[in-house]
Amino acid sequence: MADADEHVIPRSGPLPEDIDLSEETQDFRFLAAISNEDAKIPKRGEKDFEPHATALQSNTLAASRQAMHNALSFQRVHQPKGYTTATYHPESNMAYAYNPKGPLFARMGQVLPGKDDPLGDDELRGNRLWLLPEEVLYLVERGTLDVRWPADDEDEDDRGLPMSVQGAYAMFIGDEESHNHALTFERYSVYSGLKRMGYTVQRAPSWDTPGPPSGSECYPPLPQRTWQPGLFNIGHWWKTWFAGIPGDLAKEHSSDQLVQPGLYRSYADIYRRLALIDYYDPMARHLPSEAETPSTDAGFRVTYHIWKPGSQTFKKSAPGIPDFRIAVVDGRATSVPTLEQLGALMDTVPYAPPKEDGQLYQKVRHGYKNVILAIVDQGVVSYLRIGDAGFGREKLYERKVRGFGGKRGGGRGGGGRGGRGRGR
Amino acid sequence: MAIPDTAAVPEPFPIFKLAHRFLLYDTTTITYIRAKYNIAGVLIGGLPQAPQQNVFLGVPLELMPEEARLLCEKGVAYVVDDAKAHKQGFMGRGLGDEERRAFQASLRKQGLAAAGQAEKKTEDRKKAALKKKVESDDWNDIPEDMLRPTSRASNKRKGKGAKSKEEEETPVETNGESDGKVTADRSQQDDEDLLFAPATNGVPLNPTLSRAASNTSIAGGGPEPFAVTPTTSYPPLAATPPPSTFSSTELPDVPPSYPLYKHMHAKDYFLAPGLRFGCQYMAYPGDPLRFHSHFLCNGMDWDQEFDLLDLVGGGRLGTGVKKGFLIGGEVKGGSGDQDVGATSAGEGGGGNVRTFCIEWGGM
Repeated sequence: MADADEHVIPRSGPLPEDIDLSEETQDFRFLAAISNEDAKIPKRGEKDFEPHATALQSNTLAASRQAMHNALSFQRVHQPKGYTTATYHPESNMAYAYNPKGPLFARMGQVLPGKDDPLGDDELRGNRLWLLPEEVLYLVERGTLDVRWPADDEDEDDRGLPMSVQGAYAMFIGDEESHNHALTFERYSVYSGLKRMGYTVQRAPSWDTPGPPSGSECYPPLPQRTWQPGLFNIGHWWKTWFAGIPGDLAKEHSSDQLVQPGLYRSYADIYRRLALIDYYDPMARHLPSEAETPSTDAGFRVTYHIWKPGSQTFKKSAPGIPDFRIAVVDGRATSVPTLEQLGALMDTVPYAPPKEDGQLYQKVRHGYKNVILAIVDQGVVSYLRIGDAGFGREKLYERKVRGFGGKRGGGRGGGGRGGRGRGR
Repeated sequence: MAIPDTAAVPEPFPIFKLAHRFLLYDTTTITYIRAKYNIAGVLIGGLPQAPQQNVFLGVPLELMPEEARLLCEKGVAYVVDDAKAHKQGFMGRGLGDEERRAFQASLRKQGLAAAGQAEKKTEDRKKAALKKKVESDDWNDIPEDMLRPTSRASNKRKGKGAKSKEEEETPVETNGESDGKVTADRSQQDDEDLLFAPATNGVPLNPTLSRAASNTSIAGGGPEPFAVTPTTSYPPLAATPPPSTFSSTELPDVPPSYPLYKHMHAKDYFLAPGLRFGCQYMAYPGDPLRFHSHFLCNGMDWDQEFDLLDLVGGGRLGTGVKKGFLIGGEVKGGSGDQDVGATSAGEGGGGNVRTFCIEWGGM
């Protein structure tokens, strides 16, 4: 018996572009290759099946271990050039730096207004950049920032002792519990992973609160607006609007028959009359008359706003619209979200409809709103994209048949596997 | 044999606990438990020498609770509340003056060594770059810094200009890499420094440039020590093992699948968390650096009922990725079934665990 989905099982190994190298322990001997742009890390298959007690094998293993040991023993040294130092502030569990240099600070840290600055509104406030716990930790780990413990009268050079990487973890994650418990290991894993890939990451307003009420950007634009640009568009709008609503056709259903005699050839009309069951229409949602605080569950809230690497529009003062919104979920402590939890989360993200003239399956996959869930277990992150799909809006019977090859695009139904998750 | 001469770590060694996680920061300990106790853990930190990638990660090493528990049960490790230790040590004047001074002196020594190395390296590199410049005969490309002494003010003013220079400098750098020497250099430096690297000259820097450097400078010339961010806080902090390592209240909490973990570990398997394959553990026949995993493991209670569909799903997944799907649990009551080799050889701690391997027939 041949299963229909048998082709899903890889026969000859996955395609090269599907391999995620970070998925398996890689041989540290190839670390040097990564800094050298033209060299490539070999795609898997370089490992052995089992130990067979040969000298070759144990030598290779020893070499790998030694390479790993050397790589891990790297010392974080600060050259005088570009040397940046910051001071830990225990009360707020943040750190501050005066006029830090370097391109990284164009996308990190904040100068706080006088009333919010934990050190008060003194004359240095404008030069003082406050770094959030995850930002300090990331920079310390990266070897970019030299963080000092608060200075103490007896320190010889009125500067505190340097904070080690271990100290930074202990304070910025370990001690978060005694502050507001907002930065967890899960959140930091996602933050640092994305930063290492080059994304710009900022805390979302719903970081540790339900966040502000969803504004008009979270709902489809009101239909009047579509009238504006003129006749051509009206015709277009007219068509899409009435295709969605059976409208006056409903009257004809008052008789016993769904399809009246006489209507034989027009399949589209027949199908339209058979469409009796209501469906969820993501475009039919409206902004509630009074603003409500989102009813999101604390386990499922947008945690970070993400901008793509090299985004030209991003500025710290005016970050603009993020490219992605990510909700970090603890894989060990959380079960699959309920419809209510997911719906409440979906209410807080902006309306982002698919292209009007896109292909049917692509439109369904894209959805009318979307959010990315980052599921974390022991430092391992899987990204899932959840879309608010409008299946009912896409009428199969209105689809133009494109002859041969038209079937192609539909190969992967079921909403597809959204974002390229890391777990397979 | 080329077994790396892993320096022995004095036992028991501390495992640092914070926010309910178990971490290790000391490279020697990480290498040591890998070689001696078959415990690999998961590296979760970034590598400063290659900061823009996720394939190779660095310290800290996160241990599964099972791994921490096993090490504690063997009596070779103990758990330290790291946040508390740091607060006491660095903020509550827990460190004595003597310790602080020793710590600062050792950092200064390390910084001095690093500065000396860096100076030598930039010398070499400058020579190489100059040679190239002479060959290409394009004197406009020479960084301004090379010709005039650096000062803080000029640095600042140049901010923008220097940045555009970065792009021009890069090709020179990549050329330099072809002789293999620079690869190592690169690992020594932060990448943003690297962009300026050919410009750094060996002349002692203006004392106003870095307050730390000037304050800690020592008489007698030579390079100024660089500031160093140590990886661990031990020293200056010192961890003392609890008086009785076996007090069971101190042992880390573990999930119910712990007996299976312990059993597989006693059979010399390396076990890693299994999220990526949707199981509890992945079992490797040797160090995951060298070997592919053989089994996807799930622990069960002996009398636990579970869906047949779990068997089918696990079996299919395991077969699909060329691994065995393995379930196992501890035999409740009685000590029979010795013949299946379920009892672990050493330690006598594995209990009566039996394991079963399921393969999808796919007929």
